[in-house]
Amino acid sequence: MSNKNLFLKSAFVRAPLQNGVGRYVCQLQRIVLKFCKSHGASRGIRDFIEQDLVDFSRQNPGVVVYLKPRRHRGPVLVAEYLNGDRVWMSVHNKTHSEITKWMEVLRTQQGDVAGARLKKYQYTDYPSVQGPWTPFTFKDPELNVATLPDPKFGANNRLSVSATEKLRLMFEKQKISEKDMKIGE
Amino acid sequence: MVFLTVANWVRARGPDEFWRKRRIFRLAAHYIGRRRNCYSVAVRNVHRALVYATKARKLKKQDMKDLWNTRILAACEQHNITAFSLKEGLDRANIMLDRKSLADLAAWEPQTFKCLAAVAQEKLRLDGFIDGTDKKEPTGINLNLKDVMLEAWLKEKK
Amino acid sequence: MSAAKRVQQWATFARTWHIFDCKWQDPYQSAEVIKKYLLGMHKPIYHPMNDCGDVVVCINSREIALRGNDWRQRAYFHHTGYPGGATWTLAWEVHNKDPTMIIKKAVYKAMRGNLQRRHTMQRLFIYPGEEIPEDIVQNVTNQIRQLRLVPTRLDHIDEEEVKKFPKVMDYPTDYVLK
Repeated sequence: MSNKNLFLKSAFVRAPLQNGVGRYVCQLQRIVLKFCKSHGASRGIRDFIEQDLVDFSRQNPGVVVYLKPRRHRGPVLVAEYLNGDRVWMSVHNKTHSEITKWMEVLRTQQGDVAGARLKKYQYTDYPSVQGPWTPFTFKDPELNVATLPDPKFGANNRLSVSATEKLRLMFEKQKISEKDMKIGE
Repeated sequence: MVFLTVANWVRARGPDEFWRKRRIFRLAAHYIGRRRNCYSVAVRNVHRALVYATKARKLKKQDMKDLWNTRILAACEQHNITAFSLKEGLDRANIMLDRKSLADLAAWEPQTFKCLAAVAQEKLRLDGFIDGTDKKEPTGINLNLKDVMLEAWLKEKK
Repeated sequence: MSAAKRVQQWATFARTWHIFDCKWQDPYQSAEVIKKYLLGMHKPIYHPMNDCGDVVVCINSREIALRGNDWRQRAYFHHTGYPGGATWTLAWEVHNKDPTMIIKKAVYKAMRGNLQRRHTMQRLFIYPGEEIPEDIVQNVTNQIRQLRLVPTRLDHIDEEEVKKFPKVMDYPTDYVLK
């Protein structure tokens, strides 16, 4: 068995349980914002917490938000999803607006999508309208009743006209035209 | 250790030897035996694999092209038309489908492909084009065109 | 997978049995055609890694036609592996010994040498004459078209037919027919 997927797993585009068709279940379950109260790298995330975090949790009552201040450590977002995925993301030196956008990404995505390479950018349950090709699609119905081998189906039918056949054709034409002449007289 | 001459700098490859090796070991993670555990063996194999990967990026495109050509040829033979005249006819009828779409149509939507073959053949007939690669008279399946508007559309000056 | 899809899958990958009449055919050119059917390259679903090859039954392999003086000149090489174990057998000798051998080797050579080749060859049946076992005949559902027309001998045509056939010219009276 190959373990080529050690670098990056490959997957198809999919929505869990047809999420978004009829009803939408937010796949993000829990998000932890880790930051430092004094360090400059956490400046953006501190701004975000001060200005937008309360609104964020109010708008998403299904998401558990934790704040985890810690001294002199880099700022980090950790998101956990319904399917058990855990996305760890450093927001070192990220500005307020960048973090707002990343929070939106984490909230709307349906798991660790960046952890897999998409094999195809499209997916369908119905790849064919007319039905895929089968050996029987364009089969000559005469073959169903023929007893094989039969020179009718075995002889080459794509050969050009031979010199003999051309002469023969000319001869037949001549005979017909001679007949017409006689009738004309 | 103090390096006084430039020659001694050659051996110094930076302070983060662990992480440098770690990067190679990551790429050798799916190998077997010493190739994944010994750095000196792993790095050789990883470099070779990367060279193969570089070459394969081009080869993959060629392989796909060959595969599509095989599939289109197979489908053309069923409809008694050469791949050349199919392409020529479709070009003249301003139907610009690439190999991939034609091969996909041949496998997934066979009736559509049959119509395309018929269109190409009809266009060539209208243009009085003689297929130099196919000296033979196609006498097999007669691809009947039932669409009346199609003929008018093909005759339009494009 | 739903039942309909499963049936679709069976239909798409169904094996067809083809019959090919080797009478008066060049084995090396026919091998290219037979190879295409054995590997499934005549299907638009072809992929080297999917198992879509068909079965080909060759008949009349005794009556193949080689080009030029190939019967006398073409040699088949075999080595036993021991020193001095090389043998060169002429085509006519091979054909006398085993009438199926030339076509078999031609098809084998036409395919690329990989692990699949010997398994693909298992799907090729060759018979020296018209007679085929009954269990094989009843599988055959398609015939591969020959490359060349099988010529008819003059003495096999009716006398009347020959007389009716248009003449371009008459031989001069002093012409000596060989």
